[in-house]
Amino acid sequence: MAEQTTAPVNTDEIKSILDKHKDQVKLSLKLCAHCTLCAESCFLFHVKDKDPRYMPSHKFINSIGKLYKKKGNVSRKTLEEISEIVWRKCVLCTRCYCPFGIDIPKMIALARQICRSQGVVQQFDKE
Amino acid sequence: MVKAKRKPLEEIRDAIKSYKRVLTVGCGGCVSVCMAGGLKEVNTMNAELKQMFKEENIECSFDGFTVERQCNMEFLEDVADKVGKFDCLLSMACGAGVQYMSERYPDIPVFPAVNTVFIGVDKEIGVYEEKCRACGECVLGYTGGVCPVTRCAKGLFNGPCGGTNKGKCEVSSEVPCAWVTIYDRLKAQNRLDDILKIQQPMQWQNQVQRTIIQEPYKERYAKQD
Repeated sequence: MAEQTTAPVNTDEIKSILDKHKDQVKLSLKLCAHCTLCAESCFLFHVKDKDPRYMPSHKFINSIGKLYKKKGNVSRKTLEEISEIVWRKCVLCTRCYCPFGIDIPKMIALARQICRSQGVVQQFDKE
Repeated sequence: MVKAKRKPLEEIRDAIKSYKRVLTVGCGGCVSVCMAGGLKEVNTMNAELKQMFKEENIECSFDGFTVERQCNMEFLEDVADKVGKFDCLLSMACGAGVQYMSERYPDIPVFPAVNTVFIGVDKEIGVYEEKCRACGECVLGYTGGVCPVTRCAKGLFNGPCGGTNKGKCEVSSEVPCAWVTIYDRLKAQNRLDDILKIQQPMQWQNQVQRTIIQEPYKERYAKQD
């Protein structure tokens, strides 16, 4: 469960984080051929009966990919949706494998960093 | 998961008071889950330290950053561009994280802000109970899933000591005797034969720093002769 807050999203801060890693994010998104090989290396994908939403590629495209394509101009609701992906659907075990060498864990970690920068974090003190 | 508890503020103060710029580094792993050293706890502790230092007229500035996990070198890189701007690091990770942080940034002092207490389970939100001491010789298979290393005060492997009293341990009348619990569990499962097999004593003297390599990776990491 992501933290609920009504503070405005600081899109400049998100852009600044994205800019620092722009080349790698851009290249990663371009390189992904949707081959699904990464899915085979994800234990959560298997545990969740091969639910495609648990495919590492799906997770990084719909988190950092979304932030990149929108150039950081996202709503708090979008950040909360992204936080559900990067925390609830990924434990960041760093075991996912990409034949093209995309560093998927780094992409997920970056999306988490952006969520954190806006105060959207997992609440472990709530049911 | 690993469970930790924040150190007393006074102990942290004594460790860092001679430094002017302190970076508190949280960990997004186990210590976030047990609410000892995640993003929220970094912010809370920094606020408390600022207040304390102000009241005691100690000059010091605090900043905070939370990495995904301090037990993974890759994630420790996330703080690389910040480290140089500080005089010391205050790590809120478990002991493994603090050590790995010190290894990655050997030129800067790293202090622990939490005590790593045990491997345990979540009883309630904020309430954790020890279940495993990571002894490396798991015997749960013959003890009905009750750990005698963790739950027996003497860590006995072959039945209770003479101090067992009406199902309780001699160290406290509120502590259940692990071996009575083991007996009851095995009896209910009709497996009492399991505790008739004598177990060899634990080789505690061999407790040097341990490394494990999972079976499928043995060939990859085999030492070259």
